[in-house]
Amino acid sequence: MATNVQAPRLVRPEARSITRSLLLTLPIAIWSLLMFFHPGSSTDRLLLLASAITAVFMVWLFYMMMRTSTTYRWRRAFFVGLGLLFPIGFIHDLVVMRGSMGIPVEEMIAGRTPFCFMPIPTLILPAALTRSVPFPGSLAPGGGASGHGIAVMVGLWLALTLVMGKGWCSYACFFGGIEEGVSSVPKRPQIRKLDPRWRYGPWAVLLAMVLLSLALFEPAYCVWLCPFKAVTEYIAARNALGTVQNVIFILLFVGLVVVLPYLTKKRTQCSFFCPFGAFQSLFNKISIFEIRIDKSRCKSCVLCQNACPNLSLSKESIARGETLMSCMKCGSCVDVCPNQAAVWHIKGTDVAVKPDRARLMFLYGAWALAIMFGGSIIAHSLFTIFHFFA
Amino acid sequence: MVAPVQFGEALALGLASGPACIAACGPVLVPALLTGHRGVRTNTRVLGIFLGARLMGYLLFAVVAWELGALASMLPAPRLVLMGAVNVILAGVLLWYAWSAKHICGESCSDERLVNIEASKSQRTRGTAALGLLTGLSLCPPFVAAGFRAAQLGSIAQALLFFTCFFFGTTVWFVPLAGLGCVVRNQAVITVARMTMVLIAVYYLSLGITMLLGRKAYGY
Repeated sequence: MATNVQAPRLVRPEARSITRSLLLTLPIAIWSLLMFFHPGSSTDRLLLLASAITAVFMVWLFYMMMRTSTTYRWRRAFFVGLGLLFPIGFIHDLVVMRGSMGIPVEEMIAGRTPFCFMPIPTLILPAALTRSVPFPGSLAPGGGASGHGIAVMVGLWLALTLVMGKGWCSYACFFGGIEEGVSSVPKRPQIRKLDPRWRYGPWAVLLAMVLLSLALFEPAYCVWLCPFKAVTEYIAARNALGTVQNVIFILLFVGLVVVLPYLTKKRTQCSFFCPFGAFQSLFNKISIFEIRIDKSRCKSCVLCQNACPNLSLSKESIARGETLMSCMKCGSCVDVCPNQAAVWHIKGTDVAVKPDRARLMFLYGAWALAIMFGGSIIAHSLFTIFHFFA
Repeated sequence: MVAPVQFGEALALGLASGPACIAACGPVLVPALLTGHRGVRTNTRVLGIFLGARLMGYLLFAVVAWELGALASMLPAPRLVLMGAVNVILAGVLLWYAWSAKHICGESCSDERLVNIEASKSQRTRGTAALGLLTGLSLCPPFVAAGFRAAQLGSIAQALLFFTCFFFGTTVWFVPLAGLGCVVRNQAVITVARMTMVLIAVYYLSLGITMLLGRKAYGY
């Protein structure tokens, strides 16, 4: 028998006034100026143009977040832009500096490879037991494993991660934007039912890669499983083994970053595979910022669960008034909730008490990181494109 | 008989190379322990079976190493074939182990204390023993080092005793793994452990196949 289920009424948060939105955006605008036009920065016209476009883009997105009191769509615009532009600048640099995207495996083992944050969790055990890391190194040819460079990068990542938790995966990762872009193309998902056990996939990949990296003393994830090798550097295939590895990279990229996100409207690589994402989830326990469900307002419509790109909400977790450990703090559940039951929250405070203040505090940190990390990548890639056509 | 000096040398070699041994066996042993029941005593039993079978693998290897004279004389191609075959079999056992370790719920999966493992005790014993034996036969670096030394000894009995001493040296490093029995066993942990086993099996399988392909895979 058909039942007449009334769709929940969408209550949009009130838009802020232009003046107030501009005032709230001012700190981010100053931060952008400092990042892109600090004294001593290059006077190259094309670079200045690329920096100016990036700065305006990032400040405008933040302004829209303030004006509309929504987060997800504006963050997504940045994130997809980062995901699409990163390979352009990166591949260009590789080809210019090394003459090829292919890196011989002995160069990888010697640490003469570009730095990537993905293998950080797999470096911990080898570093603790042997006081050396098998990977990664510097971008410069013959540069070797740059201890200072890696230390700065790992230190930066750690500091930001302690504050933002898994927010890194929504505001800093330069890989996730491609699949987020693909997942936003279809209007409706073709595959709606996903076995929730696949959520454990990233943990399994993490455990397997940590154990294999220690056993083989090679970056097992980078050598065997990284889907993004298809759009960054890859192993120079000089034998059948190298060919097999590159075929795996391409198949994983096509499957997890293109086909499945299109069919499911989810970030499938992040949700089911990424070991770094699983590692980042641990830091959600430490981070003071989180998303909570105000149980007194929740009508159990599960719109938030359906909207979550990372399967970080389940009926059980909603009933408990919290997200799962894997929440990336993208803001989609908060934006889509018709009753404003999904709220930004600072640990130690009561739920739904000034959630907008919690959102603001989180966004200032997250957007400052986005400008510093992702913004510089976008500006560099734009410069590469301008330089190519100039 | 083995001279006390050689006895001490084997023990010291085992103690010194224990971390490398635990790193080499970790991908197989850690998920295998995590798919079992909770409890330090249960884990110690599983660990004991694994290590006992690993000792058998060591001794079998000692016989072969002594018979061959030295592993150094083994050419890269046959060594690859041997390693490839061990890896393929290991992958098969891992897949079977992961499949047989399906968890079932006593009454409700929401209560982690009621989670049970479907595989019977004898199935798990056989699986653990097979994994131990195969890792014992794997040519990890400390193992090859011990193999070289054993091959230089005067008799097969000396080689066997040398490997036994070496085994006890390395075993000390495995004892803390019994502590994995303290890890909660719920649907998440068992599913992650099973998925990990499948991934590691796929890795060993692909490695084994490329090793069996030998010249074509590695270009020599």
